[in-house]
Amino acid sequence: MRYFLTLAIFCLALAAPATAQESPYFVTYDDVLEEPGNLEISTQGTVGIQKHNLPTRVSPLLEIEYGWTGWWTSELYIEGSSQMHDSAVFAGWRLENRFKPLRRQHWINPVLYFEYENINEASGIRKEIVGHTEPVTESLSILKQNKAREVEGKLILSSNVHSWNISENFIVEKNTLHGEPTEFGYALGISRPLATMASGKNCRLCAENFRAGMELYGGLGNTEVFGLPQTAQFIAPVLVWQVNPANSFKVSTAFGLTSVSERLLLRCGYTYEISGFGHKVRQMFSGKDRK
Amino acid sequence: MIRTLRISQKWTLVVVLLLASTAMEAQTAAPLIDPSWVVPAQAAQRQNPLRDRPDAALGGRKIFERNCLMCHGDVAHEQKNHAPDLSSAAVQAETDGALFWRMSQGNSRRKMPAFSSIPEPQRWQLVLYIRSLSKQGTKLK
Repeated sequence: MRYFLTLAIFCLALAAPATAQESPYFVTYDDVLEEPGNLEISTQGTVGIQKHNLPTRVSPLLEIEYGWTGWWTSELYIEGSSQMHDSAVFAGWRLENRFKPLRRQHWINPVLYFEYENINEASGIRKEIVGHTEPVTESLSILKQNKAREVEGKLILSSNVHSWNISENFIVEKNTLHGEPTEFGYALGISRPLATMASGKNCRLCAENFRAGMELYGGLGNTEVFGLPQTAQFIAPVLVWQVNPANSFKVSTAFGLTSVSERLLLRCGYTYEISGFGHKVRQMFSGKDRK
Repeated sequence: MIRTLRISQKWTLVVVLLLASTAMEAQTAAPLIDPSWVVPAQAAQRQNPLRDRPDAALGGRKIFERNCLMCHGDVAHEQKNHAPDLSSAAVQAETDGALFWRMSQGNSRRKMPAFSSIPEPQRWQLVLYIRSLSKQGTKLK
């Protein structure tokens, strides 16, 4: 706790308005990496409303993202989970890295994604959906005992056509603890700003500050049984509001499309971006370039 | 969490952080002008479709403040990340098409993000605003 408090005070001390190209997606990744030297802190909540009167789960997530270079971004996730008429537990952490292999923009822009997950089965953020799915019936205390050390890779393809962003993610995930088969999943996203021209007015609710779109994501089975049977599939309208250069809110309601999917996934997120964080840290420790 | 790490894990963490800081410093120390970041002739010849709408530069200013100010600075803010002064003669000598191409393509090896996710009309608004910077004088250094 002391470390997190120190980190929070440190970040606030260096805080300044930041640049922003915030994506409306919750699951799909586009090709936009964090700007070099910027630190993004974001919190998200996912409410999973299950079918068959199974208990609703609320899963908070803290995300810290840093742009090391123009082609490399890292993110640390810390997640929890709580269930109605049950308990609240720590669900684990994830560390991801995204790399942009090509220097220029193309019709399709690839990004390579690698993630290590140290989580347990209480995890309910549904950050990606892979493999087959079963409705959750156990209590969190039981689910928490089932650990997972997973490695995950994604091929992210993203295109910007006129004012539309179209992104496709192909996901491969392997739990290294148990002899489980490798699992597959996908996520597709399409979005567009509500206005393509920026008005001259200084306004918070101008149409150009909003971006709306749709996501489609789900599992594709595993190496033993590949395909859609017994997989969770969702379709989700998404909306992001860029309040100002540093702050943004986004919301989404995902509708389950198959019998094993949750009925609804209600998601919301808030992001605060600290501009030039790395620059300020370097100044602090080197003592150079002080103004 | 740091306390619970084994010695080998701590050394791995140190090595990763060193590699990361080396990568960052390599970019910081890289020369500002990248000779390989050449605008194709066809892209440089593109005309700004908003050139007859100077009022659109006001919207361009908002986009500038949101996406460019933090690195390139303006009359009230210093530059960071060794980003060029957009009011400088070298930048103003570029054609509208060249400016549009550079902001759309980015240069990930020199910390310039690609802004192709910004709608095309807004990028042209940004070009209009960058043109207006030459009339605002030099920056505070």
